[in-house]
Amino acid sequence: MGYLGYILISAGLVFFLGTTIGLLRFPDFYTRMHAAGKGDTLSTVMILTGCICLSSTQVDGIGLLLLALKILLIINFIFIGSPTATHAMMDAGNKAGATPWRKDSK
Amino acid sequence: MSTLPIWQFDVLLLILVVLFAVVALSIRNLMGAAVVFGAYSFMMCLIWAGMGAVDVAFTEAAVGAGVSTVFVVSTLYNTGATVQRRTGGLAFKLFIGVVVTLAGAFLLSALPDFPDWGDAESPANAAVAPYYITHTIADTHVPNVVTSVLADYRGFDTLLETTVVFIACIAIYSIMRVDKAKLETDEPAIVAVPRYDPGDSLIVRQASRFMVPFMQLFALYVIAHGHYSPGGGFQGGVILGASLILLAISFDLKSLLRQWSEKTLMLLVAAGVFLYAAVGLACMFMGGDYLDYGFLDSVLPGERDMARSHGILLVEIGVGITVMFSMIAIHINLASNGRFDRGL
Repeated sequence: MGYLGYILISAGLVFFLGTTIGLLRFPDFYTRMHAAGKGDTLSTVMILTGCICLSSTQVDGIGLLLLALKILLIINFIFIGSPTATHAMMDAGNKAGATPWRKDSK
Repeated sequence: MSTLPIWQFDVLLLILVVLFAVVALSIRNLMGAAVVFGAYSFMMCLIWAGMGAVDVAFTEAAVGAGVSTVFVVSTLYNTGATVQRRTGGLAFKLFIGVVVTLAGAFLLSALPDFPDWGDAESPANAAVAPYYITHTIADTHVPNVVTSVLADYRGFDTLLETTVVFIACIAIYSIMRVDKAKLETDEPAIVAVPRYDPGDSLIVRQASRFMVPFMQLFALYVIAHGHYSPGGGFQGGVILGASLILLAISFDLKSLLRQWSEKTLMLLVAAGVFLYAAVGLACMFMGGDYLDYGFLDSVLPGERDMARSHGILLVEIGVGITVMFSMIAIHINLASNGRFDRGL
């Protein structure tokens, strides 16, 4: 179970790296937000799931259950909150008139 | 792995804190500065957590990174996010430089007088802290020493802190609030740029409608469980206030004001402080000192220690009420420019 935790956390960090690179390298506002919203949500969920797996090697019984329940609630909130925030920012950018990047534009 | 690399982590965080402070001061766009300031608060929160001061970290995360960022943003909604830089002459700049350098030098010269971090011989750790740590269970039946010190041993401090929040709310209210008679003739609130209104989006509305009940449930847990885990009236009150501010932002100010009218809000702000002070007074009527909850054991269930535990819960509820409604009232004042009609 502990190894699964390490694997999940490492995978989450890889996705975080991808998010950061996407945020820095993508050409316009929408694609950057796309990278941030998707990668951030997935990697945070993976790291928190890894935390549950890791803590299962140290606590057990009702303590583990409560811990896992709390972390699952956090996961649930990030799963809803992060894409909603991304959507709000995308929508705001659209209304403020940010032009999407096209292949022929520089 | 016996020792965690805490101090290296602390150094990294401190570098980030200084970096964020410099960026927040030098950035031109005030909205960007507000966001950077939120990040600064979050780094401070991590530093507190690293020092083991989880209650302080909790407060910093809720107040510093959460609600105060919202306050700054709702102020910028009415004032505009461009900075008007007033540049003084060279002499003025030199004067400022000398003053800042001198003040910094004085502060640094006082540094050697401080005890080492976690020094067991320092006055604070040698005299009162051991008493609190060893007596908290027997005296108050509260395992979380922070809560028992905050609301019981040092109850006067917290009463006055709550009063400070109350006074801050009253001050902002009396400065910002526009007279009702003037409302018809006045110009509408200054809105520098046509802003995005998140209330237009069905997704934002539904997501916040889904999240708000859980936030409020968590806030009640934070207040009620503050005896056993980090948290208490301040943190829970801020989270409760933030949940209603989220509703106000994602729907509109009107729908919040329909549920909580101006008069109700201000009454409840005062009611929290009143509850705190009334509990103290009740202790005097029972024959004890002010805020000596142990004397409430004839009306509250349990022995003296449990009475003190329940007294702490009562004053924490008072703190929570005041903080929650202060946050909402301050936000409405700032967002609607004191007009209480519409805004962010």
